[in-house]
Amino acid sequence: MRLISKTRLLASSMLVSASMFGLAVAATAQEATFVVSAQNVGTPSYNPITGTKLNDAITLIFDRMVIQDADQSFHGQLATEWESTADGMSWTFKLRPGVTFHDGEPFNAETIVWWIPQFADTENAFMTDAIESVQVIDDLTVEFVMKNPDPNLLSNMASGFMSIPSPKAFDELGDDFGVTAAVGSGPYKLESFTVGQETMLTANEDYAWASDLSENQGAPHIKTLTFREIPEDSTAFLELSTGGVDLLYSVPTEFLPRLESEALVQVGTMPGTGLFYIPINTTVEPFTDIKVREAAAFAVNQKEILDNLFGGVGSVANTFLIDSLLAANVDSALKISYDPDRSNSLLDEAGWVLGSDGVREKDGTRLQVALWTQNGTVFKRVTEVVQAQLKAVGIGADITVFDSATINDQYRKGTEHQLAVRSYSWANADIIDWFFSGQRLGYPNVSMWNDPTAEEMNVAAMKGSRTWEERVANFTTYHEYVLSQFVFAPIYQPVQIYAYGKDSITVPEAVRGTRLQSQTVVDITVN
Amino acid sequence: MVSFFLKRLLLLIPVFLAVSVVIFMIVHLVPGDPIDNLVQINSSPEQKAALAAKYGLDKPLYQQYAIWLGNALTGDLGDAIILRRPVADLIAQNIPHSLSLGALALLFSTVVGIATGALAAIYKGSWIDRTTMTLILLGSTVPSFWLGLLLIMLFAVQLGWFPVSGARSWDALILPVLTIGLGGVALVARVTRVAMMETARKDFVMMLHAKGVPPWQIELRHVLRHALLPVVTILSLRIGWILGGAVTVEFVFARPGLGSLLITSLNQRDYPVVQGALLMLAIAVMLGTLLGDIIQAAMDPRVREGIK
Repeated sequence: MRLISKTRLLASSMLVSASMFGLAVAATAQEATFVVSAQNVGTPSYNPITGTKLNDAITLIFDRMVIQDADQSFHGQLATEWESTADGMSWTFKLRPGVTFHDGEPFNAETIVWWIPQFADTENAFMTDAIESVQVIDDLTVEFVMKNPDPNLLSNMASGFMSIPSPKAFDELGDDFGVTAAVGSGPYKLESFTVGQETMLTANEDYAWASDLSENQGAPHIKTLTFREIPEDSTAFLELSTGGVDLLYSVPTEFLPRLESEALVQVGTMPGTGLFYIPINTTVEPFTDIKVREAAAFAVNQKEILDNLFGGVGSVANTFLIDSLLAANVDSALKISYDPDRSNSLLDEAGWVLGSDGVREKDGTRLQVALWTQNGTVFKRVTEVVQAQLKAVGIGADITVFDSATINDQYRKGTEHQLAVRSYSWANADIIDWFFSGQRLGYPNVSMWNDPTAEEMNVAAMKGSRTWEERVANFTTYHEYVLSQFVFAPIYQPVQIYAYGKDSITVPEAVRGTRLQSQTVVDITVN
Repeated sequence: MVSFFLKRLLLLIPVFLAVSVVIFMIVHLVPGDPIDNLVQINSSPEQKAALAAKYGLDKPLYQQYAIWLGNALTGDLGDAIILRRPVADLIAQNIPHSLSLGALALLFSTVVGIATGALAAIYKGSWIDRTTMTLILLGSTVPSFWLGLLLIMLFAVQLGWFPVSGARSWDALILPVLTIGLGGVALVARVTRVAMMETARKDFVMMLHAKGVPPWQIELRHVLRHALLPVVTILSLRIGWILGGAVTVEFVFARPGLGSLLITSLNQRDYPVVQGALLMLAIAVMLGTLLGDIIQAAMDPRVREGIK
């Protein structure tokens, strides 16, 4: 008996010692593995200036001049102060002292003078289009001389595409920058990058310039951070539930009930930046008739889609913009909400008579339209429900599913599509310009809408606003006009869902910013 | 045997040329233009033309093909348009993963397939035969995507024996190998079983029985050996299938490889990468077939005679 007790005691002591040793190892290891959003798998490079697609690690390698909080307020990162003149033709930025890039190069006014012209002739040139030149006031102060006022400048500068690389490394590496190496001033250094597989980061121990959005003002707590690329959401979910990874940047809504039942998984949500909608080709019959467009738009039962396909997670969309944008506050009479009676009346007025098979007809022509979508479970499901909802008011729809690369080429033809189910992710009102400008017919203006009044409003919103308030007012007017012409039907606004292992890491309760970025990641600790 | 090998090798040249034409044409005839993925939305036709010229996409197709094939023969597969790296580097980075996965899956299919097929043939009509063939039928009809997830659920999530995904350790190979290999087991076992049953009816087998050779010796030494010829043919044809067919498995298990490279590049219409990856797969199929022919020839003199 005594022997057994002694043995048990010895075994227990060994277990406790082993546990303590294990804890000590874990405490010093400070390693974590995050999984990037499935849509970011295959991101070709970490070059913010020329890249058209960047993954979630970009804000950890590079810093930006300013960053944005979830309430859309701006906070300094590499800039400490900024102001613009009343006419919006000049912006002055004070730069943070003592910042160095990972290669030891200093960050100062000369960096900005070099940086802005790099955008010329790149896909991201629109970010700096309004800047005429950059003047050095002193070593840590620059002035942007503007071609035209751009109240959206701060918003652009908070984007990952306006992350600032080391000029020396950028020039030396040329086309290889972001591919073989990437040098910024962010909280993490890039150790290795295998496209489509993983990115290894190590903490920048010199980091001492986090924004006021982060509690941790020094080097990040996690010392080695791996970003894995897992294309299949089910696999990523299983990796998290078995502790193979510590955090998923993005979780599909349909996984939510399962994740919430996992004892060791914590799920977090952030306001979404995306919206599902149906562009309506305004140049093809029968949608040249605004009544038919309006009827199609009011036939979509947004609530039914939200509840049945997304389990009530997210919110319905009644305009073209996500709710958090000020320009989404339009006249409520212009909002598009399910109203089948209105759809039926409009189609009756337009001369479309209900046929025996439930599809309307006019002068021997059936109201049968092409409904396009891209591959992917969510797109297919939404499209099938939309098809049924259109049928309920007498609009027959034939679904065609394209792969994501082919469908844009098909849109560019301009004449073969009628309706489509699409989505975008963008937290700025200028998305209206992107999808409805007459300069971009076919794609991305899938609605093929080219309206002189809208074009005037577009110019006023994009280039004629001197202040942020004026910009919001101009975009609201433009947005309301777009709504009044029924060139699209809004469907659904998803939320952003992330998930992490409760036992492995601690994530701040409130995520700062519109996405899970450096301002939050530097505060994450390994348990 | 050497002349047989050389003749078979020479026959591959026209096949290679024909395959290269087909690959090139298929890639260029698929809708979608990589230049549209690169240029600004508002780019002028001149800007698009300049970019097309940079990548040689402005030349007539036959010229593009000649340049591509000429360079490919010297080992230069060009630069990826979207992924912005030399295609040869991308392939070199991915092909070891495909080869290790493919080789192990093939080995697994061969060993388990032949053993299972032989058992089923030897115990023809018994419960062993019926059970084996039912399992094989199931194995061959389950889609690899679903089978992969099932294996993950069982061996990685429930039992915790293997990692869910990735390619960081040797044990991360086990579940993908099983996923691909099980389909092969079904095929190899079916062919082995049928071939052994056919061989068992031949005169020389009757004679061996009459001579009093023990049944197990007849089955394993004589019947199985003769039955392996069609199995070798099937296996050689499966080499390319395994490399190319690993696409879904690489996707589910988030593994690098030619399949996942092909899918990523195809979605972005990254022509040089798609062409390079397809060419590698085609070469693998051709070499697999050649290897199968050589093994068959080594096993059966009639095959060597047949080509003369």
